Amino acid sequence: MTAAQSGAALQPIPRVGLTWLLIAQLLVILPHLGHLPAWIVGLWLGCAGWRIQIFRMRAPYPNGRVKAALMLGTGLGVYLSRGGPVGLEAGVVLLIAAFVLKLVEVRSRRDALVVVFLGFFALATACLFEDGILAALYYLLPLAALLAALIGLQQSALAANPWATLRLAGGLLLQAAPLMLLLFLFFPRFEPLWTLPGPRERGVTGLSDSMTPGDIAELGRSGELAFRVGFEGPLPERSRLYWRALTLEHFDGRRWSQAPGAQQLEPPAWEKRGEPLAYSIVMQPSNQPWLYSLDVAGSAPDDARLMDDFRLQQRRPVTQPLLYRVVSWPDALREPEGSASALRRALQLPERGNPQSRAWAAELRRRHPQPEALVQALLDHFNREPFHYTLKPPLLGRDSIDEFLFASRQGFCEHFSSAMTFVLRAAGIPARVVTGYQGGEFNPAGNYLLVHQFDAHAWVEYWQPQQGWSAVDPTFQVAPERIERGLQQALGEEQGFLEEAPLSLARYRDIGWLNRLRLSWDNLNYGWQRWVLGYQGEQQLQTLRSWFGNADLRLLGVAAVASVAAMWAVVALWLFKPWRREGDAQQRLFRRFERLLARHGLQRGPGEGPRAFAERAARQLPAQAGAIWAFVVLFEAQRYAGREGAPGELARALRRLRRTLPWRVGSG
Amino acid sequence: MRTRLESCLQSIDRVLLGKELQVRLALTCLLARGHLLLEDLPGMGKTTLSHALARVLGLGFQRIQFTADLLPGDILGTSVFDRESGQFVFYPGPIFAELILADEINRATPKSQSALLEAMEEGQVTIEGATRPLPAPFFVIATQNPVSQGGTFALPESQLDRFLMRLSLGYPARAAERALLMGGSGRQRLPELAPILDHALLAEIQAEIPRVRVSDALVDYVLRLVEATRSQPQFAWGLSPRGSLALLAASRAWAFLAGRDYVIPEDVQAVLPAVAGHRLRERADPAGHGGGTLVQWLLREVAAV
Repeated sequence: MTAAQSGAALQPIPRVGLTWLLIAQLLVILPHLGHLPAWIVGLWLGCAGWRIQIFRMRAPYPNGRVKAALMLGTGLGVYLSRGGPVGLEAGVVLLIAAFVLKLVEVRSRRDALVVVFLGFFALATACLFEDGILAALYYLLPLAALLAALIGLQQSALAANPWATLRLAGGLLLQAAPLMLLLFLFFPRFEPLWTLPGPRERGVTGLSDSMTPGDIAELGRSGELAFRVGFEGPLPERSRLYWRALTLEHFDGRRWSQAPGAQQLEPPAWEKRGEPLAYSIVMQPSNQPWLYSLDVAGSAPDDARLMDDFRLQQRRPVTQPLLYRVVSWPDALREPEGSASALRRALQLPERGNPQSRAWAAELRRRHPQPEALVQALLDHFNREPFHYTLKPPLLGRDSIDEFLFASRQGFCEHFSSAMTFVLRAAGIPARVVTGYQGGEFNPAGNYLLVHQFDAHAWVEYWQPQQGWSAVDPTFQVAPERIERGLQQALGEEQGFLEEAPLSLARYRDIGWLNRLRLSWDNLNYGWQRWVLGYQGEQQLQTLRSWFGNADLRLLGVAAVASVAAMWAVVALWLFKPWRREGDAQQRLFRRFERLLARHGLQRGPGEGPRAFAERAARQLPAQAGAIWAFVVLFEAQRYAGREGAPGELARALRRLRRTLPWRVGSG
Repeated sequence: MRTRLESCLQSIDRVLLGKELQVRLALTCLLARGHLLLEDLPGMGKTTLSHALARVLGLGFQRIQFTADLLPGDILGTSVFDRESGQFVFYPGPIFAELILADEINRATPKSQSALLEAMEEGQVTIEGATRPLPAPFFVIATQNPVSQGGTFALPESQLDRFLMRLSLGYPARAAERALLMGGSGRQRLPELAPILDHALLAEIQAEIPRVRVSDALVDYVLRLVEATRSQPQFAWGLSPRGSLALLAASRAWAFLAGRDYVIPEDVQAVLPAVAGHRLRERADPAGHGGGTLVQWLLREVAAV
């Protein structure tokens, strides 16, 4: 690096720039706090303090050894706290650590620019973790602070005034808003070329791929949102809203799980009947691959398939809020023929256990040879006998079905559905447990349904020839208000609704104004997810199509790319000004001349003029003096005397010189 | 025309031995219509140089010895009441000459200094409400003594800036001094010098100088030099636009003296120490004498091509 370059790079950092840099760093790190290990915060505080002390000239810059130690320690810390350098979380921790550490060794403006750009990048990664409407509004703050730092780093009249700097940054943001809007509307959303590992959400509540007694009751205590549904037509009756997530077919005596064969992809046979229902769902991340739908989902989103047990499933787990549209045929006839393998799975029972229930099933079978009659008898039994619907059922022993049916008689939906399926199977009727959600809370502010985790439900499907699969809900017999009005009403006064989630707003539905506020806020979030986050892929295409008619979208994309390229070309032309280089043919030839002589041990100093260089060269290479002078005189005449001359003339002079010189390969 | 100039130089060189470069720069300064500041110890030939220049170029010569009690009127002239005509009659001061030697300018009070410097800048003087033009050509050679600064008023930077060049003659070389001691030269030979140029010819030459061609590439070099003085940390401050204009004017005159009608980077480099030295200060020593090392840095590091 020559003295001139190092001088330009070593511009000191103004106080305002540093102040904004520190503020921006705080604002960028704040949204990351949730998934950063605590030592990063300590590291940040230490680095910021050190930086301030450096600015006050109370502390020196870190030397090489300290820097190496910090770097190694940080790498080790990331490795220990995130289990390796791979993965989104570890990457973000590493990025934030770099962002924090770089601050200490910032000496010149160029270093500070690196910190600012790291900050922009770290802010972008925050969007991977949190992209709600409040978060998006918040991100404007660090954005403005980073811009203010960028402005404050420049030596200008503003460099002394932090507020003017911030005002300018705000103005820049405002000016960028139309461009942002245009990009948002038109910029194509490409599928990522590689799978971006989503943030590993720890403790996402939701349905799992198996069910033991108590699992769904656990969910019943959670006020978290599962998904939102907007119907395109009128809202169907509540009792028809059975949102299927998945089917559990394998029973090991205690636990219901998906049958291994159900993973095979084999489109089920079904027939459209009745009126379809069209709706779109905005699903919260569940970290599971299945999607929610009403039976039977006739149209699936691009990425998902209808599996042979009528569940919708996509290839990747849902790690981001997902918007999809489904058309369902609730009255469809499902698998009237019945596939042999599906029926075999639907009759599976453990070898032993629950003898009482098996005996009762055999007796029922004897009394009601028709499957429909038997199902009806079972439902009547649940209705007539003193069964009790409760979130806190007593623990059950090894023969859980027997204990529930004949002893405790207290349970949640999973107890009822599991017992009914068991009895049906024992009686020779193919049956299975379906888990999902039931009902939902209507939000009049946005005309959509909110489905929470406490709406989780399990019900039963059984099969009979010609009729195919039909759904029945034993819970309805015990607690009809659960189906008709919801869990809160079903639990009544004596069992507290969401009593373990005192912060959940859904708990305080009885307070009118609070409830209205909650629903309006949720409506805002719904719109954000639908129209902002969900504006990609199909939805973007549809919007653009509705504006530009059926213009060829590929052509439109090409036009967009071309116009962006043209814009960049104009910027590049303006920056590099190639037409200015016309006169520099002389300069290029002069550089060649220099390189040629450099091979013969003649280095021109930067301040050495052509004539002085030629004099020196002619002294050192007397045999070539004539050719050297010929070139330099011609160069001077063209470059300084303004004599018109084609560059060819100069190039010829250079070639003559080259011929007179002995051929030599060297550092040139 | 150029042969005449060359013979001018040779004539002066016969009087002032071994100072070809300084003589050439002094003539360059005059041709570029600039004023010259000579800074040297007493007895180094400053007065001889001024005399020789005046004689050879055929200019009227006046010497003003600056002292602590010199008044502006002593330089500019005063009006005296003439009893016979009943009017004030203006008696012009020594400044109404074509070449002025302002000897030991730093001995006078700032008031007297500025009277001279204003005249240098404006080319005219205003005395008692009447503006009187100075003769053309008008050329000031000021001298000052770098040592024995007691009781002197050093010229501030703003006034230094008005001199196109600052030169110091320095000790003569051994051979030149031997010749001097042998009596072959010196002030005794001044009367032998015959005028080689006249006013008309000098004016013609001076008018010719601005027509010396300056190409874009050369202006770029001058700009690089000026930008370096403004952006590099070792400079206390950069060259003013007046400084860059002066640099270009002096380069043109130098190129003209060298017999070219275009300027090359070497011309700029030849005049740079004299033109920029007194306008630059080191950041480490802003009150110092000036930037010899800074100029050397510029010559070495700023890309010439």
